[in-house]
Amino acid sequence: MEFQASLALVAPELVLSLSGLALLLAAAWGGDKASRLISILAVAALVGAGFLAAPALCNGASGPDTLAFGGQVKVDAFAAFAKLLIYLAAAASLIVAPAFFERVKAMRAEYPVLVLFAAMGMGIMVSAADLVTLYIGLELNSLAAYVLAAFLRTDERSAEAGLKYFVLGALASGFLLYGMSLTYGFAGTTSFAGIHAALAGDMSKGALFGLVFVLSGLAFKISAAPFHMWTPDVYEGAPTPVTTFFASAPKVAAMALTMRVVVDAFGAQVQAWQQIVMIVALVSIVVGALGAIGQDNIKRLMAYSSINNVGFILIGLAAATQQGASAMLVYLAIYVAMTIGGFVAILMLKDANGEPVEQIAQIAGLSSHRKVLAVCLAMIMFSLAGIPPLFGFWGKFLVFQAAVQAGMVPLAAIGIAASVIGAFYYLKVVKVMYFDEPANVAVGKSDWAHQALLAICAIFISPLGYLLTGWLGGMADKAAAALYFVG
Amino acid sequence: MESLVVDLSQYLPILIFLVIALALSAAFVFLPMGVARLTGTHKPDAEKLSEYECGFPAFEDPRSQFDVRFYLVAILFIVFDLEAAFLFPWAVSLDMTGWPGWITMMVFLFELAIGLAYAWKKGALEWE
Amino acid sequence: MIGIEHYVVVSAILFVLGVLGIFLNRKNVIVILMAIELILLAVNINLVAFSAFLGDLTGQIFAMFVLTVAAGEAAIGLAILVIYFRGRGTIAVEDANRMKG
Repeated sequence: MEFQASLALVAPELVLSLSGLALLLAAAWGGDKASRLISILAVAALVGAGFLAAPALCNGASGPDTLAFGGQVKVDAFAAFAKLLIYLAAAASLIVAPAFFERVKAMRAEYPVLVLFAAMGMGIMVSAADLVTLYIGLELNSLAAYVLAAFLRTDERSAEAGLKYFVLGALASGFLLYGMSLTYGFAGTTSFAGIHAALAGDMSKGALFGLVFVLSGLAFKISAAPFHMWTPDVYEGAPTPVTTFFASAPKVAAMALTMRVVVDAFGAQVQAWQQIVMIVALVSIVVGALGAIGQDNIKRLMAYSSINNVGFILIGLAAATQQGASAMLVYLAIYVAMTIGGFVAILMLKDANGEPVEQIAQIAGLSSHRKVLAVCLAMIMFSLAGIPPLFGFWGKFLVFQAAVQAGMVPLAAIGIAASVIGAFYYLKVVKVMYFDEPANVAVGKSDWAHQALLAICAIFISPLGYLLTGWLGGMADKAAAALYFVG
Repeated sequence: MESLVVDLSQYLPILIFLVIALALSAAFVFLPMGVARLTGTHKPDAEKLSEYECGFPAFEDPRSQFDVRFYLVAILFIVFDLEAAFLFPWAVSLDMTGWPGWITMMVFLFELAIGLAYAWKKGALEWE
Repeated sequence: MIGIEHYVVVSAILFVLGVLGIFLNRKNVIVILMAIELILLAVNINLVAFSAFLGDLTGQIFAMFVLTVAAGEAAIGLAILVIYFRGRGTIAVEDANRMKG
């Protein structure tokens, strides 16, 4: 009976894995001609999994009823919140892909299958309640992601991005695993609850080393400084739909996983990780802001912007309160919309032959010939900078509020100062688009799917997004309450 | 502390084992050769005399690059081989895991079969 | 008497060797793959040693998972390397520089 209850709890993962396997066979027998159909079915599977995951969030599920497979997996409201964001981001990266890959005749039927498996791995990551489950989910996601980065087999930059992502991703997994092995040795168990109980008193040196290694491995995965060096190269080299995916879904999954690990497993040793998270947050903000200056490729710019935003999200974690966790989740939701919107806008920048345009200099004067696209891109840039009328501001505001209420006024002050520096490079893109001599390069037509997706993202991050603050905040509060549930 | 003087008589079974193994393997090698010569089926040719070496010529520069197709087979082999390693702990603990354990492993094997079917259909198992 | 600390020290040495192998290696990507395997095996030594020391089987099961995932990881790494080699004709580390910044 317990087995069946467990299976019911992991229904979203079952749907994803079964449809992934079926679509894999369809990909082998149907060939690349079937890739559009397989993409549509994969999006349908993600939507179905989303509907199965949603009730846990709406009910605010928490506590022992959410544990499956003898405490290996914890399907609570927090996991459901992260899963919904992940499925949305994965579906978006499937929707934008065909138009991009078909132009270079590289649309292969394996792309949606890999995205499905990666999404399943991320679902397991965010609902992990044990180090073993954590590792399996993480690797399921990473292995699919390495292949996705090198998906354009004939493109040298894509292959190099795949290689770099693989080497540094494997190194990160190694750090994480080494930390997990030390944690296991010194806590005597791999379950998060068991580790929490074992570390309740004084923390031994070995467990501290374990914590530091685990945090470094996770920092790699969320591309927080000083472990960010792979991000610009991978974002630039990977095909743009894949970059859309990398910048959104795995970021949510790894961030949610980090929250779960530090709260669930290391929650008894807050002062041990709080300082590390604070330093990482500040360094990420500064590196993200300074590194972006002087970039001339817009995908690299977005990579530094993601490092910068990860820093702001981590400020919520440094607060180490339930309010901070809730703020992080709201920020993540807004960040996913901004990132997807940003990369869809980049996908829509094409020259007359349909070749992608990635150089910032080439979009000079975009406002003169692609007015709507320029407005959307400008909105996304302002929102990423956190300039008030746009929704991006709300996430930053909540995170800083949580930090101030946790008594971290200096951290919040430095963060706000750094966000002003960071605004400089977003504004530079807007300036190039609106005030520079038109380069008239990005004149190509765009796909209707891209336009629709960009419109949705733009409406979400526009001031209209504030209508959703109550609803989004309520959901995030339920998820954060489930994360901090004690019982 | 134990005595450092080794009691050689403890190793007698191993010695006997070695002698018997040597005698048996020698018999397996030389008996067919003798029988072949006596019955007149001893007809050596170039193929029969060449060493069996996994598709390589036996003597060449060891640092030469070998065919990338070996990699492909090796990659497939190592994946399926190591997944099979899960079967051993599963087999000895089946009385504890019961039906859920059995179903789980069947699902796992089914997934492996799908992977094999995919590799097969994609032509990864073809040499040419 | 060989105690738990000996295993932990061996594992730490192997781990550091693996990490240095990735960062100091200037020649060949295959060496990086081997360094990654070294890191994972260091972890496995830790897991199995702690498992025996604690009298708890979880560590050994974990080690099994690490082994299988390591095999998958090596397979994917080699596959990406083959694609990279076909495009570039070299697997030297210092040639991986199409992107700068």
